[in-house]
Amino acid sequence: MAEAMTPIVVVPKRGLELPDLHEVWEFKDLLFFLIKRDLKVRFQQTFIGVLWIVLQPLIQMLIFFVIFGIFVRVPTDGIPYPVFYLSGYVVWQLFLQIVNSSATSLLGNIGIITKIYFPRLTLPLSTAIGALIDFLISFSVLMVFLLANNYPITARYILLPFLVLLTMVFSEGVGLLFGALMVVFRDTKNLLGFILQIWMFITPIMYTISIVPEQYKIFFYLNPLTGFIGAYRWIFLGTDSLPTVEYFVVSSLVAVAFLIVGMIAFRSMENKIADVM
Amino acid sequence: MTRYAVTAENIWKEYHIKRPFEGQGSSLKEVLNHPVNWLTRRNQNPAVLKANEPFWALKGVSFQVEHGESIGLIGRNGAGKSTLLKIISRITRPSVGKLTLYEHVNSLLEIGTGFNGELSGRDNIYLNGSFLGMKYKEIKNRFDEIVAFSEIEEFIDTPVKYYSSGMYVRLAFSVAVHLTPELLLLDEVLAVGDAGFQAKSQQKMKELIRSGATILFVSHNSTAVKDICKRAIWLDHGSLKMDGPSAEVVEAYLQTVTAH
Repeated sequence: MAEAMTPIVVVPKRGLELPDLHEVWEFKDLLFFLIKRDLKVRFQQTFIGVLWIVLQPLIQMLIFFVIFGIFVRVPTDGIPYPVFYLSGYVVWQLFLQIVNSSATSLLGNIGIITKIYFPRLTLPLSTAIGALIDFLISFSVLMVFLLANNYPITARYILLPFLVLLTMVFSEGVGLLFGALMVVFRDTKNLLGFILQIWMFITPIMYTISIVPEQYKIFFYLNPLTGFIGAYRWIFLGTDSLPTVEYFVVSSLVAVAFLIVGMIAFRSMENKIADVM
Repeated sequence: MTRYAVTAENIWKEYHIKRPFEGQGSSLKEVLNHPVNWLTRRNQNPAVLKANEPFWALKGVSFQVEHGESIGLIGRNGAGKSTLLKIISRITRPSVGKLTLYEHVNSLLEIGTGFNGELSGRDNIYLNGSFLGMKYKEIKNRFDEIVAFSEIEEFIDTPVKYYSSGMYVRLAFSVAVHLTPELLLLDEVLAVGDAGFQAKSQQKMKELIRSGATILFVSHNSTAVKDICKRAIWLDHGSLKMDGPSAEVVEAYLQTVTAH
């Protein structure tokens, strides 16, 4: 407390501003506290909590396997359907969880946001870390399936951390955008639910991108998850249906765009929030 | 290191009472149904138009606070005192002007600032401490003192939503004053709490001042203001009306109040 702090200047908002990540780091104790608390609450019903994270993708996979793997026989480039589906689904789950939890974290904590100052970005960030932990658990389940089906760990796995980071950063951007909207427009929650449902269908999770005619593929790659899941499958399944570099770049650029828009929307909301609530 | 704790330069704050399409109760549906209206902020309802006129909560407020000063902030309801504290707490930003902070700010703006009802008192102490930028160890060191001062030892592990308003404010105040504030902002929170607690908290504030903390304190209790604070600032309808020794300012203010 004795050391002089750098003076903080409080001024009106000027133009576009991006969130201050440095400040989030200064408040890292708060971030860790929020993560710990989130985990405590979720795993307090320990048995059910951990089990659910594992059960949910398995049940989904079973249903889709029966319908799309046996009855309908969706082509999967020769890969056993359960593995094919799960390899896409764990990524989707990460995205979904980050988006939903980040979007609701702000509105859910509106009480403290309007009363005490802290970098608001800490809230959606803490939920994103929680989602990462869930991802690691479902990923372990996926590993079991992969190894059981003779898909070994290869050198390609080195790229996995970067890909996960990219996925998380993109998901956070979407979450921030909708989180900001949700604070200002209360019915965004319904809209978001609808959008995510559609989003799941246009992402090649239960089907492979190769069933899409060539001239329409670009539209699918505008969805960053298409490019990302293609890359994940390239890593896990050793397929050569890695999206071509061009398509992957398209997906990544769209992802970055979402991140920037999300951060701007978030900052804009952050400045006004105490005034309109 | 400068001698100032806070400097306010020409602070103006504007509020729109109700902007269409923003704030509680507005919906995307409205925006999507009336895109043109939203873009031009046009709205047929004259009552809403009237309410949409800007309201200036603060008008050109400037002052400087030195380290270790104790200042009472007085004025009628709606004068802008809470708004000013919110700006200093960085919860909202000024519309015009510049505020510079040279100390870490702790504020108690409403009863239960930063408390999460679902968590216990214990967890909220740590939560609040984290919000105030404290490290886990620092909070732990102070934990027993905080609990003792708030007199809620038996209930420290009960979720805060079950606390009475008195318990709530005692804990909130205890947290705010014990987590080594440099600059402490208090907004009319000492009104709740029985006479015993009020006496204790005033005592504590004086201790803090003696040990060098800077305090900005909104209160309608003129006796407390004169007793605890050396200086007082009087806000009237958003403007700074008077800034000087607390006894003088309080007297001047009381005269206008009782004149009606």
